[in-house]
Amino acid sequence: MKQLLLLCAFFGFLNWNVISSEDTLADNYTEVEVKDGGTVVGNVKYMGDLTTLSLNLYAEWELPEISKTATEKLIVSMVNHGLKYAVVSITDITHGKKKVIPTIHPIIDQQRNTFIPHVTAIISGTAIDILNGDEELHTVHTRTIKNQPFNLGTTYKQRISKTFEYPETIKLTCDLHKKSYAWIVVLDNPYFDITDKNGYFEICDIPPGTYKFQVWHEELGKLEKEVKINPKETSNIEFIYSQY
Amino acid sequence: MKHKALLNKVGLWSATAAASAALVIGIAPITAKALTIPTEVTEEGKNTYKKYCSPCHGEEGKGDGPLARSMLPKPRDFTRGAYKFRTTPSGSLPTDEDMYRTISYGVPNSTMIPWDILTEEQRTSVIPLLKSFSEAFEVRKPEAPVDVGLEVRPTEKTVADGKKIYEEKLECWKCHGVEGRGDGPSAAEQEDDFGFPIKPFDFTTGKFKGGNSSRDVYLRFTTGLNGTPMPSFAKELTDEQRWYLTHYVISLIKPEETSK
Ligand code: HEC
Ligand code: HEC
Repeated sequence: MKQLLLLCAFFGFLNWNVISSEDTLADNYTEVEVKDGGTVVGNVKYMGDLTTLSLNLYAEWELPEISKTATEKLIVSMVNHGLKYAVVSITDITHGKKKVIPTIHPIIDQQRNTFIPHVTAIISGTAIDILNGDEELHTVHTRTIKNQPFNLGTTYKQRISKTFEYPETIKLTCDLHKKSYAWIVVLDNPYFDITDKNGYFEICDIPPGTYKFQVWHEELGKLEKEVKINPKETSNIEFIYSQY
Repeated sequence: MKHKALLNKVGLWSATAAASAALVIGIAPITAKALTIPTEVTEEGKNTYKKYCSPCHGEEGKGDGPLARSMLPKPRDFTRGAYKFRTTPSGSLPTDEDMYRTISYGVPNSTMIPWDILTEEQRTSVIPLLKSFSEAFEVRKPEAPVDVGLEVRPTEKTVADGKKIYEEKLECWKCHGVEGRGDGPSAAEQEDDFGFPIKPFDFTTGKFKGGNSSRDVYLRFTTGLNGTPMPSFAKELTDEQRWYLTHYVISLIKPEETSK
């Protein structure tokens, strides 16, 4: 209810039948105190053929060989097949820890015609700052329907702040540099994480129970798994994508 | 001539709207007297749409009417709520008056004719129906129109300053070309949000889709054209700089080309 009110204040001039309609707000998550929650740590792997990933986006960067990845779309660790930039979330959780909206805005920077980072996962209501770090014109363009879309021309050092209110998976593009784009994944509960360069993630303070865990990756799609969470215990899970 | 009269009327209205926008959010617009736009879908609206609009825009507003097939630009698909010609900021829905203006004025260089053969009631009656085609109008409301300051008098200097913005600061030429012919280095690869190819506007033709007045041009690059690669430059320029850029863009019109 608190969120409902907040949203009302935000959309002050929306009419009432819209505000009270359930499906438009997707407000089916209740915050409770989680005392003896469990933790999930896990790994997402891609076991497909790595030699097919030929394009080297970071070719011109002065980076050590090991940190140059094959393509921005599919970043896989040569060491353990860990998949970077996969978003792991719990899809059917109805109550749990507080939704904390970060006061320091996550940043997406355009540097050398590349969006950094490539994937950002946030809780609904979070504002993201989009920067232009290049001494040339970029555009930042989204095509959402529920979250207000935007398409802005930006010059060097411009900083644009945008708040995302609705859960949606959003592609952010630049119409002048079509090779690069970024994803903004907006989720409606705080139980999610994004995998690191070795495919690891961690989700904590989960109230005991059985939940559906989902992993999303832009190229490889979705995988799901049911996991039982015991009080104060840490469970290990693994998601494996085979060849795509 | 009828056109001009209409434009003046709407133009005047919009100017008032911009000035009073901050005050009228949430209250019925004071200017409602100038133009009464129904808030509910009416029988008249449905009939008018079915007869005059659905052959192109489709029964359900998906832009897929029987005449749409080989057409480019495509008739607008209304389901995304993406309207090109607005007084509102980038990504915002249009105001009812923005929609009324497009319907009455048409879109030059496309098959969307000015619907001045219809009565004012008919033109306003379709607006709630067009909105009902998109979920966007259920969850969002149009933002207040952007402020358009008093026009700076065009001089050689304002045009020269505008040229600098066009060529150096904002690099409009990347899409529109150095001479404004719509043939910049990034022009060929542009597509709209519906996946159709789209050309950056050729300024030399002078037939601006969103209207030819300096205020129209100012609004286009300030608000952007939703659903297209044409971005909004709202954050980049002061009001004066906007007029400089407007004057330069208008100076790119080649009289010989417009008479064609
Ligand atoms: C012969 C085909 C045709 C018919 C009939 C037609 N339109 Fe269109 N309409 C178009 C095309 C094509 C466009 C897109 C033009 C462009 O984007 O350059 C368009 C665009 C529009 C837009 C979008 C404006 C914007 O800001 O993006 C509106 C609103 C619209 N039409 C309303 C109507 C209404 C209302 C009617 C009926 C009274 C109608 N149209 C009849 C072809 C048609
Ligand atoms: C990423 C490419 C791109 C850039 C950069 C760009 N434009 Fe555009 N512009 C377009 C496209 C595409 C259209 C045509 C949209 C259509 O036909 O619906 C357009 C349309 C316009 C229009 C509307 C013309 C009309 O028909 O009413 C104006 C005005 C305009 N641009 C001005 C500018 C200015 C000024 C700049 C630089 C500050 C600029 N544009 C930068 C792609 C671009």
